[in-house]
Amino acid sequence: MDFSVFFDNDFKAVMPELYLFTAILILLSYGVVYSTSKAFNYPMIQLNIGWLSALTLTMTLFLLISNPLSTASVFNNLLIIDPFSNFIKILIVISSIVCIFMSMSYLEYKKVNSFEYFILLLLAVLGMICLVSSNDLLSIYMSIELMSLSFYILAAYKRNSEFSGEAGLKYFILGAFSSGLLLFGISMIYGFTGLTNFEELAKLLTGINGMSDSLTYNGILVGILFVTVSLLFKVAAAPFHMWSPDVYEGAPTPVTAFFSIVPKMAVFALMIRLFYSTFFDFIGFWQPIFLYSGVLSMVIGSIGALYQKKIKRLMAYSGIANVGYMLAGLASGTIESIDGLLLYLLIYVVMTTGFFSFVLGTQSTKDSKLNMHVSDLVNLGKVNPILAFSITLILFSMVGLPPLAGFFGKFYLFLAVIQSELYAVAIIGVLSSVIAAFYYIRIIKIMFFGTSNVYTTYKAMDKLNTLVLSSSLFFLIFLFAYPHPFLLCIHKISLGLCL
Amino acid sequence: MFDSSILLSLVGLPLLGIVLLLFIPDTKADLQKTVGLSTSLLTFLLSLTLWLKFDMSTPKYQFVEKFFSVPYSNMHIYLGVDGISLFFTLLTTFLIPICLLASWDSIKIYIREYSIAFLFLEAVLICVFTVLDVLFFYIFFEAVLIPMFLIIGIWGSRERKIRAAYQFFVYTLVGSVLMLLAIMYIYYYTGTTDVQVLQTVSFDFNTQIILFLAFFASLAVKIPMVPAHIWLPEAHSEAPTAGSVILAGVLLKMGGYGFLRFSIPMFPDASIYFTPFVYTLSVIAVIYTSLTTLRQVDMKRIIAYSSVAHMGFVTIGLFTLNIQGIEGSMLLMLSHGIVSSALFLCVGVIYDRHKTRIIKYYSGLAVKMPMFATVFLFFILANMGFPGTSSFVSEFLVLVGAIKSNVFVTALATTGVIWGAGYSIWLYNRVAFGNIRISHISAFHDMDRREFMVFLPCILLVFLMGLYPEIFLNVMHVSITHLVEQVQ
Repeated sequence: MDFSVFFDNDFKAVMPELYLFTAILILLSYGVVYSTSKAFNYPMIQLNIGWLSALTLTMTLFLLISNPLSTASVFNNLLIIDPFSNFIKILIVISSIVCIFMSMSYLEYKKVNSFEYFILLLLAVLGMICLVSSNDLLSIYMSIELMSLSFYILAAYKRNSEFSGEAGLKYFILGAFSSGLLLFGISMIYGFTGLTNFEELAKLLTGINGMSDSLTYNGILVGILFVTVSLLFKVAAAPFHMWSPDVYEGAPTPVTAFFSIVPKMAVFALMIRLFYSTFFDFIGFWQPIFLYSGVLSMVIGSIGALYQKKIKRLMAYSGIANVGYMLAGLASGTIESIDGLLLYLLIYVVMTTGFFSFVLGTQSTKDSKLNMHVSDLVNLGKVNPILAFSITLILFSMVGLPPLAGFFGKFYLFLAVIQSELYAVAIIGVLSSVIAAFYYIRIIKIMFFGTSNVYTTYKAMDKLNTLVLSSSLFFLIFLFAYPHPFLLCIHKISLGLCL
Repeated sequence: MFDSSILLSLVGLPLLGIVLLLFIPDTKADLQKTVGLSTSLLTFLLSLTLWLKFDMSTPKYQFVEKFFSVPYSNMHIYLGVDGISLFFTLLTTFLIPICLLASWDSIKIYIREYSIAFLFLEAVLICVFTVLDVLFFYIFFEAVLIPMFLIIGIWGSRERKIRAAYQFFVYTLVGSVLMLLAIMYIYYYTGTTDVQVLQTVSFDFNTQIILFLAFFASLAVKIPMVPAHIWLPEAHSEAPTAGSVILAGVLLKMGGYGFLRFSIPMFPDASIYFTPFVYTLSVIAVIYTSLTTLRQVDMKRIIAYSSVAHMGFVTIGLFTLNIQGIEGSMLLMLSHGIVSSALFLCVGVIYDRHKTRIIKYYSGLAVKMPMFATVFLFFILANMGFPGTSSFVSEFLVLVGAIKSNVFVTALATTGVIWGAGYSIWLYNRVAFGNIRISHISAFHDMDRREFMVFLPCILLVFLMGLYPEIFLNVMHVSITHLVEQVQ
């Protein structure tokens, strides 16, 4: 029997994933063999592997863009390929390439001499792009585990720092716990329905609200609750956010950048798919969960960031607040809310990337340290005005000041919230964004109007980080002038997902 | 053909100037200043053609042209002016060159960035006053914060400037996010944010009340009305002279413009409903801030508080909802834009020489600086509404309008004129007359030619508006009549 017939198109459809997986294995064996070879005098190849992984991801990107099958469900509906998943995958791959670029200079001068960093990063990317196209509860679990396990190691990657070890351990224990919850939720759903596939579940659950007092119904509710909690944990939404400031602070800075940029996209994409198609009939159940969690995240994120002294902790809290806005958008449950959510994700990713490229790119000439404390930035406006002005623009965009891109993200998101008539959430949202303005403006204040006499001079930023910073700044400033392609693309994708 | 591109060129010219400035090296500071000034002067000349070509027989928007459109949202953004927005645009283009010229010597750091900030501010302000879309009004309204925050924070005078910049930012942001929500609701409810369409939409009464309050939160902070005025004296006294000028001259008027363009025509029932509330706040503003003014020791704070008092007059005039009152408050906004700007410039003149604004160090300047004393006296008189100056005409019109609607409020507001005379004359007395205090200040020189050229256009305009206000009133008359008819 010719088995190749069954999976003929399937292999074409998952070509990017297959390519990435193979390339990771090749890179790994190349690294292991080459870096331990006595004949070459144990070469240090971390940068080499870095460039190769960037190349690998670029090839993956090309494969994704030129995917011949725009819509397919493969391997017995285990995975699904559609414009939505393609869009998110492209975003994930691009931002991971950017993260690799941003980590280069850090690894070089911190003398992190092991190449496994990039392999782990690629594995996490593989996990995330599988997660985005998951169409089955089992494949969710598998991909989330692949992603999380790589994350735990990455968080603990700086072996000579006890903070890093602490971060890794904390992340691992809590992450493992939440994975357990996810698995439990999945098994509840499977136990009561006998199904794990999204489409089949969607068919079964349509109109289930009619039998809302049955045991099956309530069992599925409990299952959904556990799945939801676990996913909220993964995006660090309050009240499941406790791990995030510690992990962000302890992890090596490029890893922090990676954590705050990439995984949110993957998990939110999964949430959209899961809750807008499969569990949409339970909207009365999950909408309040997301709303409360969202509002709590906004408030805790904004207030928690107010007096943070370290940049990474500040970014962690700001990430929590941003997740809060996204959850409010997610809870709205309309096509417009997918529009708003995707646009917000895109803009949030660009803003965070720009900010972290600055954090990773500037080292003081005196002791080659990165800026770890907000107070280290004092007088940057006088020493390096153009850099300081760029950061100011990024921060203003995070505040949501028009005409910078951050405003449009917030605008479309809150528009969706208002269209679902969730006025109280919208009011709390904008007020907490005003509170958030305090701490972003505080950074600007320290940079430009600081009164200290300490003038730190900086080494010239390395080329890659400059490139990342300037291109993200370009996006943030000029999105205002020509947003059409993005809006068009996002709108078509969300229509395609829902119709 | 030419008609249809004036507004876009008005927005484009300052931006072009910014691009030019970016290419001038730091060593040529004078060239940077010249480019900044000449760009803004060109913009002013161009904006005058708006006035010349303006058709004053129609309340319609003129010079309308498409700015751009946003896909999938039914948003097509147009620029256009009518009798209301024309003068705000002109005021902006008039004051920016004055600002740049006034700070010719006093700005020593980041000269290029200074000119860029002002030109950017000009472009954004022209957009604020001409864009025919609520959402984009909000966008530009907020975009003003960025350059203004930097102007106060970087070129401000003392350590307290940081606090002032903070207050300015946060007060404005808190108010305006509520307005943003209201705009989103309007968009959701009507499917458009175009002003021309929205003026034909009628909301039910309860919706109007809520939307009015949301708009009020933002506009009342900006104008400012009494409990929300705290940021203004801070921001004024810490900003550089030109920053105060543009703040008092144009930024406060964005609030008044917002009431005229959005609140009153879109929520007429709510405007009538809230008239007593606005009157109360305005009368408190007039009396309370006038009394506060008497106790200030910093000259800029005096003028800032007197601005709040004058803005109290403006809001009374706006909410009389009759033609005299609204025209009066329009004229008062213009007149105040020039007079208080000129007063800030006067303070700037002596601050540049002696680096202090505290009154007790000054005395008897009339002896050594006669020209300055004359100009200062002229604007002090204009500030208290002396007949023959612009403020007299406009305050008179406001009170005529107000007496039709509420005699008691008018009586209380009229006392404001007396208070105004009190603090203005007293300020002038302390600064210009008396003995010269050699112990504090020993070297004097009078205004130079540049400073005189800054004041000359202001003096002429104040006289023009005071003696022959028809040329201003005729232009706005049709638009305001139309507005009043809409409300009734």
